[in-house]
Amino acid sequence: MRTAALLRLSLRSVGRNARRSALTAAAMALGLALLMFSRALAEGGHEQWIDSAVRLGLGHVAVQAPGFLENGRLEDRLDEDRVTRVEDALAGLDGGALVVSWAPRLSTSGLASSAASALPVRIEGVDPEREQAFSTLPDQRVQGRYLEPGDRLQAFVGIELARRLEIEVGGRFVLTAQTASGQVEGQLVRVAGIFRTGIQEMDEGLVHVPLSTARSWLGTPGAATTVALLLTSSRHTDAVVAELDRSLDGAAGIRVLGWREASPELDSAVRIDDYGDYVFHGILFAIVALAILNAIMMSVLSRKREFGILQALGLTRAETGLVVFGEGLFLTAASGIAGGVLGFVATWLFFRDGLDFSGLMENTITLSGGIIDPVIVPVFRIDQVVLSLWSITVIGTLASLYPALRASRLDAAEAMKFEQ
Amino acid sequence: MIDSSGTAAVRTDDLWKVYPQEPAPVQAVRGLTLEIEHGDFVAMAGPSGSGKTTVLNLIGGLTRPTRGRVWIGGQELGSLDDKKLARLRLERIGFVFQAYNLLPVLSAFENAEFTLLLRGVPHEERRARVEALFKEIGLEGLEDRRPSKLSGGQQQRVAVARAVVGEPALVLADEPTANLDSTTSAALLEVMERLNHEHRTTFVFSTHDPRVMERAHRLIRLVDGRIDEDRRVEPAVPAR
Repeated sequence: MRTAALLRLSLRSVGRNARRSALTAAAMALGLALLMFSRALAEGGHEQWIDSAVRLGLGHVAVQAPGFLENGRLEDRLDEDRVTRVEDALAGLDGGALVVSWAPRLSTSGLASSAASALPVRIEGVDPEREQAFSTLPDQRVQGRYLEPGDRLQAFVGIELARRLEIEVGGRFVLTAQTASGQVEGQLVRVAGIFRTGIQEMDEGLVHVPLSTARSWLGTPGAATTVALLLTSSRHTDAVVAELDRSLDGAAGIRVLGWREASPELDSAVRIDDYGDYVFHGILFAIVALAILNAIMMSVLSRKREFGILQALGLTRAETGLVVFGEGLFLTAASGIAGGVLGFVATWLFFRDGLDFSGLMENTITLSGGIIDPVIVPVFRIDQVVLSLWSITVIGTLASLYPALRASRLDAAEAMKFEQ
Repeated sequence: MIDSSGTAAVRTDDLWKVYPQEPAPVQAVRGLTLEIEHGDFVAMAGPSGSGKTTVLNLIGGLTRPTRGRVWIGGQELGSLDDKKLARLRLERIGFVFQAYNLLPVLSAFENAEFTLLLRGVPHEERRARVEALFKEIGLEGLEDRRPSKLSGGQQQRVAVARAVVGEPALVLADEPTANLDSTTSAALLEVMERLNHEHRTTFVFSTHDPRVMERAHRLIRLVDGRIDEDRRVEPAVPAR
C-alpha cells in the first residue's frame, strides 16, 4: 500500500508539468521509433545482401568435402556415396520447411577457348531445374536461354567472357579441365545463353554446364563439390547447420558450412554495418538519456521543498528517491509504448514496399558476390524489437537514477527553505 | 524543570545547531534545554533569525543537532537511523507549515489521507477519519479540489487535517497563521485548540502572531538561539 501510494504520487507528478513531460516523452518515443526503423532497415538491407550473395553463391548452407572451400579443387569433392548420404539427410530434415530448395554443383577451374582467345574460367556443372529454383543467375540472362533439363552440350556464359571469346548464342567453344583421373580433357559446348550480373568476376569467368555433362566429362559420376541449400531466411542458418551436422553424424569427408563461414567477406560486411548502426544507436541513446535526465532533474530541482515535505510526512530518504525514480519509469513506459507503436506503424505505413535508393546508385553495386538491390524493404525481427524496447527501458531507468539519488540526498530542513 | 522519567512529550538537552558558513559559522541554536509536557499548547516566539524554525526542525528530526539530544515521548532521536526516524515522524509527529505545503498533485482529501496511506490504514477507515475531520474543520465539499483551487485558509485547514488525522502525540506548527487573515487565523486556532483539548495533542508553535500567543498555555521567547523567557501563561482567549 505504501509503495502504491508513492507510485501514485510519481504518476501524478509526471502529469504536473504536462508540456515538459510530453516533450520528454516525445523525444524518447521518437528516439525509439527511429531506432526501430533503423534496425528494421538494417535487417532488411542485410537480409537482401545475404539473399543476393547466397543465391549467386554457395547458399545459406553449403555441404562440401573438407578442403574444397579453401582450394576449390575437384579432388576435394563429395563422391556419389556421400552425395547420396547428404541427399538422404536433406530428405529427413525436421527443419525441411526452412529449406526453400537445394542444388548439387560440380565445380572446377579450367580454360575456355575459342578461335579468338583462351581464358581461365570457373566451370560449374549444375542441375538446370534445381538451379532455376535456387539461383538468380538465370534471371540475369541478356541473350538466349538458361540451361534446361535434357540439355547436354549447352553452356550459359558471362557477357564479358562471350565478348572476349567473340562468341554469341549458338556459337561453340571448348572447355578444358583436369579430370578426376588427372588427365586434361576438353569438352565442346555451345552457348545457350549469356548473362550479365554486374559482378566482374562472374561476367568474365563463370560458365554453367549441365551437371550430367560435367560428371561424365570430368569422370566423377554422381559426385558434387557442393550441395547448396537456400533457406527461407538467413536467421535459420545455424539451426539447419546444426541439424544437418547431427543428421550426418560426423560422417567422414563431409563438412557443413553456414554462409558466415562460407562467405567470410559477407559476414564481415554485415558485422561492420552492424557496428556502425550500434555507434549511431549509442549516440541516439545518449541524446535520449540526456533528455530524460534534463527533464527529471529540472523537476527535482524545482521541487526541493516538496521532497522536504515528503520527508517531514514520514517518508525515508530512499522513498523520496523512489518517488522521483517512479516518475522516470512512468515516463519511460509511456514513451516506450508510444515509440513502439509509432515505430511499427510509421514503418509499415510508409515503407512497407521498401525505400528506393536507386537515385543514389548510378551503377550496380556488388558486395561479396552479391548485388545490392537499391530498394531496401525494412524487416522487423521480434528479437530486435524486444531489444529496442529493452534498451530504451534501460536508458530511461539509468537516466532516472541520478535525479532519484539527488532527491534522496536532500536534507529535509534545507529543502524546505527552498522557494518554489 | 527536567522530567527525569523521560516521558515528556518533548525534551531537549543542551541542543546546538551550527551552520558552517563563511566568513563565520552561524549558531542558530545555542545550548537549548527544555521540556514540554503532553497536552501542552506552546508558543515559541522571537524575532526573525532567533532560531524558532530550527528548533522545530530539530524536535521534528528533520535535521540533526550539532550537539545535544532530543527526546520525543522518551525516544532519543540521535539513536534512530533514517528509516526509524521517518517512522517516528509518520506515527508520532504532525507538521503544519507557514506556506501550507500541500502536495499539489493530490486533492484535498488525498493530501489529508496521505499519512494514513503510508501507515497502511485500510481504505474505509481512512475515508471515515478524513471525512469526520473535514466535517469538523469545515472542509466538507472540498474533498476533490486540488490545492491550487483552495483559498489560503482552506489550504491551511487541509494541512492541519493532514497533520492531525493520524492522531499524533505532537504537532509542530511553523508560523501557521502567517499568511492568513484574522478571521481565518482565529478559526484555525480554534480547530487546533479543540484538538488539543479533546485529544490531548501537544502543540508547539513558532510564531510572531500575537493571536497565537494569546491562546498559548506556555510562552517561550527565543533570542539568538537561546531561551530568553519561558513562562506559563493564562490563555487570553479561553478555549471553546
